[in-house]
Amino acid sequence: MTFLSKAITAFGGLLLAHACYSAREHTALQSLRAATAASLTSTPTVATSLPVDIILETIISTFVILLGLVLGTRPLRPIEWRVWAGKIEREGEEGFTDNSGAVDKDFMGNPFSAFESRPNFVDIRKQRREFAEWVQKGGSEATRYYAGSTR
Amino acid sequence: MPSERELEISPIVQESLIHNSRTLYNLQSLTASLFGISAGILGLESYSGFLFYLIFSLLTAVLFYLVRVAPSSLAAGKSPLDTSRYFRGPFEFWAGGLMNGLAGFILTWTLLYGLVRA
Repeated sequence: MTFLSKAITAFGGLLLAHACYSAREHTALQSLRAATAASLTSTPTVATSLPVDIILETIISTFVILLGLVLGTRPLRPIEWRVWAGKIEREGEEGFTDNSGAVDKDFMGNPFSAFESRPNFVDIRKQRREFAEWVQKGGSEATRYYAGSTR
Repeated sequence: MPSERELEISPIVQESLIHNSRTLYNLQSLTASLFGISAGILGLESYSGFLFYLIFSLLTAVLFYLVRVAPSSLAAGKSPLDTSRYFRGPFEFWAGGLMNGLAGFILTWTLLYGLVRA
């Protein structure tokens, strides 16, 4: 997604630079022609406007860059508390990533996590059972799990 | 604008509000400079330049709505063109960019006009 938006923006920028150069060359040519015509015939020539293809290229390239920039914006977050908290509850970290898939730096997780992990409500028997299984297995994947959760 | 009583019933997350406004503001100030560049290339003068800016700002808002707001907002049952899931009021979303980016627009407009026509 981020690559797509950057590619579109770069392509539009190339088009816009080309249009800018074309317009510059066109006006330079026009002023040169006007100067020579004035010195030869002394009839004032009206300055013509840009050719249609340069105008079209400018507008289309602007639109292409605009599309790329809009695609590159970061995803929004719901502002109502109940919608926002529900999204955290359902999707967790996956709901708060930027375009490249990394979790936002200011994502702070469940707002009720302190409330839900009160010591009075810890299931100590379940934890003891899990610990006993882990000791029996001595497995490597359990080690990783506990190392991750206790830190 | 919701009243205090409605805010007590359905509170608002400040961080999300700031995040959304900043996202929109960044987009608007970037694109305003871009519109100035193309207005300068086209050699627009006086009212037609501001009309160009007005049209493309509205286009930016519509594109941003279609890409970022519409998919989840319509899925949540909001009516089309309703931005209340992500923004305080509709005015901030649809017309806020006109004032945000005007200075950048005029800056690049005059610069590119001078570069191309001089």
